[in-house]
Amino acid sequence: MRTLRWLVAVLAVTFASAALGQQVKLTFWSHWAAEKIKRDFVEEAIRRFEAAHPNVKIEATWYEKNALYAALKTALRAGTGPDIFYAEPDQVEYMENGLLLDLSPLDWSGIEPWAKQIWTYKGKPYGLPLEAWTIELYYNKKALADLGVTVPASLQLSAGSFTDLVKKARAKSMTPMSLGVGDRPFPGAFLVHEALVKKLGLEDYANLLAGKLSWSDPRVVDTLKLVRSWTEAGLLPTTFTTLKLGESHTYFYANPGAATFLMGSFYSSRAFNPPDKGGEPAGFQVGIMKYPAVPQGACEECRTLAVGGSYVVNAGTKNPREAIEFLDAFVDPAMANRWLENVVVQTGLKADLSKIGGPHAAYLKELFAADANAKYFFGLPNQRMQGKPKEVFTQVFNNAFPAGTISVEDAVKQMNAAYAR
Amino acid sequence: MKRAIGLLGRGGLFAVVALYTAFAAGPFLWVATMSLRTTSEISIDHYAWPAKWHWEKFGQAWFNSNYNVYFGNSLIVVVSAVALLTVIGSMAAHCFARYRFRGNRALYFIVFSAIIFPPQITIIALFQILVQYGLYNTLAGLALVYVAVQLPLTVYILETFFARIPGDLFDAARIDGYPEWQIFWKVSLPIALPAIATAVILNTILLWNEFLYAVVITDESKRTLPLGIQRFMGDQLEDVGMIATGLMIAIVPVVLIYAFFSEKLIQGMTAGAVK
Amino acid sequence: MASLVAPTPPRAASTALRVDRPPWGAIVAFLLPAFTVYVAFTAYPVLRTLWNSVRTVLPRNAEFVGLANYAALARDDLFWRAVQNTFVWACVSPLAEVTIGLLLALALYARIPGRRFFRIAWFTPVLMSYIVVGIIWVWIYNYDWGAANALLRAVGLGAYVQAWIGDPRVALPSLIFVTTWMWTGFNMVVLLAAMHSLPSEVLEAAELDNCGWAAKLWHVVIPLIRPTILNLVVLSFIGKMKIFDLVWITTKGGPLWSTETVSTYLYKRAFEWSTFDLGYPSTIAVVWFVIVLAGVLGLTWLFRTRERLEY
Repeated sequence: MRTLRWLVAVLAVTFASAALGQQVKLTFWSHWAAEKIKRDFVEEAIRRFEAAHPNVKIEATWYEKNALYAALKTALRAGTGPDIFYAEPDQVEYMENGLLLDLSPLDWSGIEPWAKQIWTYKGKPYGLPLEAWTIELYYNKKALADLGVTVPASLQLSAGSFTDLVKKARAKSMTPMSLGVGDRPFPGAFLVHEALVKKLGLEDYANLLAGKLSWSDPRVVDTLKLVRSWTEAGLLPTTFTTLKLGESHTYFYANPGAATFLMGSFYSSRAFNPPDKGGEPAGFQVGIMKYPAVPQGACEECRTLAVGGSYVVNAGTKNPREAIEFLDAFVDPAMANRWLENVVVQTGLKADLSKIGGPHAAYLKELFAADANAKYFFGLPNQRMQGKPKEVFTQVFNNAFPAGTISVEDAVKQMNAAYAR
Repeated sequence: MKRAIGLLGRGGLFAVVALYTAFAAGPFLWVATMSLRTTSEISIDHYAWPAKWHWEKFGQAWFNSNYNVYFGNSLIVVVSAVALLTVIGSMAAHCFARYRFRGNRALYFIVFSAIIFPPQITIIALFQILVQYGLYNTLAGLALVYVAVQLPLTVYILETFFARIPGDLFDAARIDGYPEWQIFWKVSLPIALPAIATAVILNTILLWNEFLYAVVITDESKRTLPLGIQRFMGDQLEDVGMIATGLMIAIVPVVLIYAFFSEKLIQGMTAGAVK
Repeated sequence: MASLVAPTPPRAASTALRVDRPPWGAIVAFLLPAFTVYVAFTAYPVLRTLWNSVRTVLPRNAEFVGLANYAALARDDLFWRAVQNTFVWACVSPLAEVTIGLLLALALYARIPGRRFFRIAWFTPVLMSYIVVGIIWVWIYNYDWGAANALLRAVGLGAYVQAWIGDPRVALPSLIFVTTWMWTGFNMVVLLAAMHSLPSEVLEAAELDNCGWAAKLWHVVIPLIRPTILNLVVLSFIGKMKIFDLVWITTKGGPLWSTETVSTYLYKRAFEWSTFDLGYPSTIAVVWFVIVLAGVLGLTWLFRTRERLEY
């Protein structure tokens, strides 16, 4: 009898300790399969977390963005999605359908308030805003020197100087600006909306995107005509419509080379790879300036700030505690600094700017200089718009308008019609 | 017909034929040359003949990029799907073609009309069904989906052919007391071999190259060959050289199968012409 | 339906069974495997789609909305643009593919030397998957170094270089060109097989009658292989109505919806627009199915055989 009780006790203890040290497996799907630096950062974070939590194993699968989105849509519909996955704040459909876990338990004091705001839906935050980025006008220092163009101390060319730059580059058979929309719905639109936000100012720009301001407004039309004058002067590559995002990088700094490159500040995640993996060639000197000033612009310091790659938790996860703990491990100034130093893109996490060092400190300094005194509009048009206006905006202003296959009048007409219901 | 050649002029005919051949096979040849050159060589001159024949690229594509897994998966799925399709498709086609019963045309129409349905929308429901039956991300699940996808076309091709077989053969067999199954096996099938060969070739080609279902229903370990090519299409540097190599690995087996089968097919056709 | 498609001697005469009742046991046995697969993997999803189309289908609930989706579809000009593009494609392609295929088949039938090689060479485009074809033709249509523009520049027609898939005016014809390139070889092979299966007596008789080759072609050969031609036209029509992979790899429906097909639009609504709703895409599928069916029936009616052929 005593042996039996003893046996039961031993078994009970064994089961209890097994349950406590129970292996938890978290599935993790993310974009950035081809962006080594970001991928390395996240994988390092995973390793550190697993070391600190021996009972948790994280199984990561890396995708290209479009493939990831399609896989997620089907998996989530069927109720079998991963525990943690990559998302961007424009994907409101996740929150509208209650597919994400409320992330209030995270340590939000370590996250920038504007980043939290972008991920807040009905008062609750749903995403960890890891990546944030602005749109910068990168330029080839040597090329601009050869063309005889000087970038002023304000880092912003006037519209006229920029037109000048375009003409001079073309005269030397160099593409003035690298840009490509082969596989993304937003790069071409940079050209248009960065000009619009400066011309209209934050409030009217928001109204424009929401359909409350007509696209026939003379300020809008004037801005479009300005951009059109640049593209007609040969601003963009001839392969603009099929050039992929990654390819547009090498088009700028390697082959065949362009004078400038209008790109998000995630430029670094491809540019700082070794040259044979798509990075800048040795000795390439990149400069950063601001988007040219728009004549009679209401707000020349206005620019777009977007939250990019973020991580969210599946509402149906079986391990919410561990998932939230994993995300919480990112909320740490040391992590934010590591991101800034290595990935060299802004982040929604609060960083300790006094301690920034790392191999790209000079680049970071230039980046912050270009962003100094900026007034931010949060979100890209295709993150703020939904449904038909978004589709029309993408087709018209990302693809057709920069490529020159639609007139200003038609573009305005199509946009106005898209909002009509 | 010989007069036709005389009229057109042999030269003219040959010129047209040569031009079309260049047009049809040109791109294939271009990819073949690119598959043996490295991407940097290609970016210098896209149209040069390979200076150095980089056969090792095929080895790289095969082993380093998981191609052997993809190839194996494609082989298993396609062979099983096509085998199953041929068997159950010919059974159904024989039944539709040779037996008169109420609902014959209605049922046939129901099966045939499925060809028209856009696959994009059935994919969601299919996904859910497969998950429910534990067949998601399995080669068996993908094979079954492929059978369902190609069944209407297979039945259509075979039914048309089965219907044209003269009825006397069947009547004779019945008089001789053969049961229905034997009639199918010994009368219908052998005569319909050319149509079956057509169906087999068509199904193999279409399923070998199938993309949409494979990408939704499988995960990395069960991926098939068309998806494997995507591994080389990272957004950084379009690795034109490796993509070309990957394309060749996908194309060559199918070409060989066709070359082998087409002889039998044509033999069957020409033999049947002389009644 | 088969009687519109194949000019068989009427079924009653030659295929009537000696027994009065059809052998139900055998019928069920023959049809069961096919129908099991069909019901499980085709019929059920289709019914589910119909069900979806009158609802807003979200991951957690499905709400009945009656014909609201259908009404929205009627007002959706993106959808109708896609329908127009797809119809143009599906009407032009069969014409090009079957006509050229016929001429090529004749060339091979006329026993030119090296025909075995040509047959294989002309068939290789058919063997490639749409992914492969898409990648190759994006390279060919590349503005800077693609074969299309390189060829034009080489023969001095440099003024005509275009952004073949970047310009809304030429994007759709460029893609139609690609599918023609792909499928003409297939049509050629099938037509050749059909020609070989023709009884030689008829052709010899025509030869004896001293017909010119054009007359022989039009009055003898074509009517005899008419059912095959019809099959090919219908297959090509259906195939183009469903086309997805090629557009997805090359233009994704752009530029400016000039290559948007119903399939790509449906995929975008189901997977790319910021919504999980499956109801609206299901509505698109249902309406599209009806349109395609009408097209196919129209085609077969157009090609209906007027006289019975005896041989």
